[in-house]
Amino acid sequence: MSVSIRRPVRKQEVWLRQAEDENVVYDPDSGAVHILNATAVAIWVLCDGETDPLEMVDAICGLSGLPHEVVSEDVERILDEFDRAGILSWTE
Amino acid sequence: MNDGAKLRVLLADEQSLFREAVKVVLSAEDDFEVVAEARDGIQAVSEAVRTHPDVAMLDAGLPNCDGIRATQMIVERVPNCRVIVFSGEEDERVLLEAMEAGASGYLSKEAPLADLMSAARAVHRGEALVPPRMLGALLQRVIHRRRERDEALKRMTNLTRREREVLALLALGADNDLIAQRLVISPETARTHVQNVLGKLGVHSRLEAAAFVTQNGILDDLVGVER
Repeated sequence: MSVSIRRPVRKQEVWLRQAEDENVVYDPDSGAVHILNATAVAIWVLCDGETDPLEMVDAICGLSGLPHEVVSEDVERILDEFDRAGILSWTE
Repeated sequence: MNDGAKLRVLLADEQSLFREAVKVVLSAEDDFEVVAEARDGIQAVSEAVRTHPDVAMLDAGLPNCDGIRATQMIVERVPNCRVIVFSGEEDERVLLEAMEAGASGYLSKEAPLADLMSAARAVHRGEALVPPRMLGALLQRVIHRRRERDEALKRMTNLTRREREVLALLALGADNDLIAQRLVISPETARTHVQNVLGKLGVHSRLEAAAFVTQNGILDDLVGVER
């Protein structure tokens, strides 16, 4: 039995604008603007439909040296926020 | 660095004016001490080996062995030294190469000098330091590399124990005669093993097989078979 892995994918219409100290995601459908911190932007970039949440967590842990549980919680929370904001869908 | 001790810094940049400016700023801080300076990559490596600094700050474009190669050599030879690479402007390629070479941080020279100090303190604490805007691209690259390595390891499982030994020797540049000699087999048998390895890995030449091992960093996995 194979277990399907869900991968987050950015809504195509949504765009990211990165200025000096500000990262803004704009959803033209809803007109909503979301301000993201650096970690959230990095995760947003990784929502390409090919990367699963576990890969994101492993890569961030490898780079930052932070504990897996902490990063895992952060990634889950940020993806959940994207999901609730309606700027993300999931592929299997 | 012990509590209360100064953070010992090696500073490497071709331009003496830049080195001098950074040195003045760092020297004004209680917790920094510039213990060595270098104007090229080779000098940076030898000074790092001589002085064992806590943090080495290297320009990516150093002459006579660039900052990326120098990073690799310093990380190998002075394992406790953390390296920060800086470049003229934010450059994704330089960032990726620097981090892959073992740097702990990357900064652009456009950043305020105060950032360089916080960067040095941060990497010394064991943190990785990447400009926030470049983090996504770096993580994508890290994930891509991991996938390639996983794929390589998967292909390696098709190899027999003997074929792994042959692949390890190929990666080290051995020809059929040397492989035969090392594994105490005939050159013909060695040639057959080599052909099988190439076929199973889906590569077309010995050179490609050697590149497969080095690019995916799996030599240790192969050598592990011997242990």
